[in-house]
Amino acid sequence: MMDDSKALAKGLQRRDPELLDQLIEQYQYRLFRYLVHLTASRERAEDFFQETWIRVLERGHQYDGKHKFEAWLFTIARNLVIDWQRSKKMQSLEELTEREEGAAKEFPMNEPSALHLLLSEEERSGVHEALARVPAIYREVLLLRFQEELGLEEIAGVLAAPLSTVKSRLYRGLEALKGAMQGGAA
Amino acid sequence: MNAEIHARAQKLIAQERVEGISQAEREWLAAHLRGCASCAQDAQRTSDALRDLRGGMTVTVPRGLAERTRFRVQLRAQELREREPKSRLLWIMCAVSWALGIASAPYVWQAIQWIGDRTGAPRLVLEFGFGLWWAIPALFAAAIVVMENLRQANERNSSGR
Repeated sequence: MMDDSKALAKGLQRRDPELLDQLIEQYQYRLFRYLVHLTASRERAEDFFQETWIRVLERGHQYDGKHKFEAWLFTIARNLVIDWQRSKKMQSLEELTEREEGAAKEFPMNEPSALHLLLSEEERSGVHEALARVPAIYREVLLLRFQEELGLEEIAGVLAAPLSTVKSRLYRGLEALKGAMQGGAA
Repeated sequence: MNAEIHARAQKLIAQERVEGISQAEREWLAAHLRGCASCAQDAQRTSDALRDLRGGMTVTVPRGLAERTRFRVQLRAQELREREPKSRLLWIMCAVSWALGIASAPYVWQAIQWIGDRTGAPRLVLEFGFGLWWAIPALFAAAIVVMENLRQANERNSSGR
């Protein structure tokens, strides 16, 4: 795995077009899914998807090959979304989603949740509805941990947050998810 | 069983999924779950929730998104390739400038001293002038790099969202 990562880092440094094509193909689903959850909009997720890969091309030399590529990819995507939110004078993701220790704020009412948008297109299922009731900062770590299967330190890297924060969000998120799946409020 | 034991079991149920638990803790938990229906139910709910989270969240990637992205990435790569010789030339010029600066330093200092003798300028001014002789190429290169970065940022903003 380490050899693969090193080879990947070298390829990114060279801006190897074949490698980039292959990476876009390989990670398209996971990156798009992550961006949909992050931006709450499929259209925006499409824009950020493209921007993320352009950033990967431009900053490929910064990938050191010591960490999982997907963690680096999600970090770039997340930073782009946050930069955009800041540039639009919106609240940062943290502010937009919730206070760390208190009750959570959901996406604003005029911004339908990505999960709700998905529900209109895809089969309604318990987990969609339950996850939509989980506060966004918890939802993000739950998805990174259990869907993207990133390690705790990798998640801390993506979020630029301390490990203790990641763990605390995961425990709270897990509780919230269980509560939501039982039909209660998160 | 007292409440503390159930609390410990529930903590371990979550901890096992989030950061892992030791073999001894796993064995303790398994033994507890065999004898405690409510904690066993909690463990089952946790497993079900995570199983659904892993398998039940599907998103459809828009048709053609990967192709459009590849196209944009290729265009950008081409732009970067075209720009590379220019920036390489800039660095070569800076390097040559520094090399000339080093090679000519003794003569430049002699020239500055000669000017100092003729004008009576204080030594501090002469040294400052000599320092500038060294700093100008670096300042020039830094200014170009900053301008280039600003130009790229503007380009991104105007071509982006």
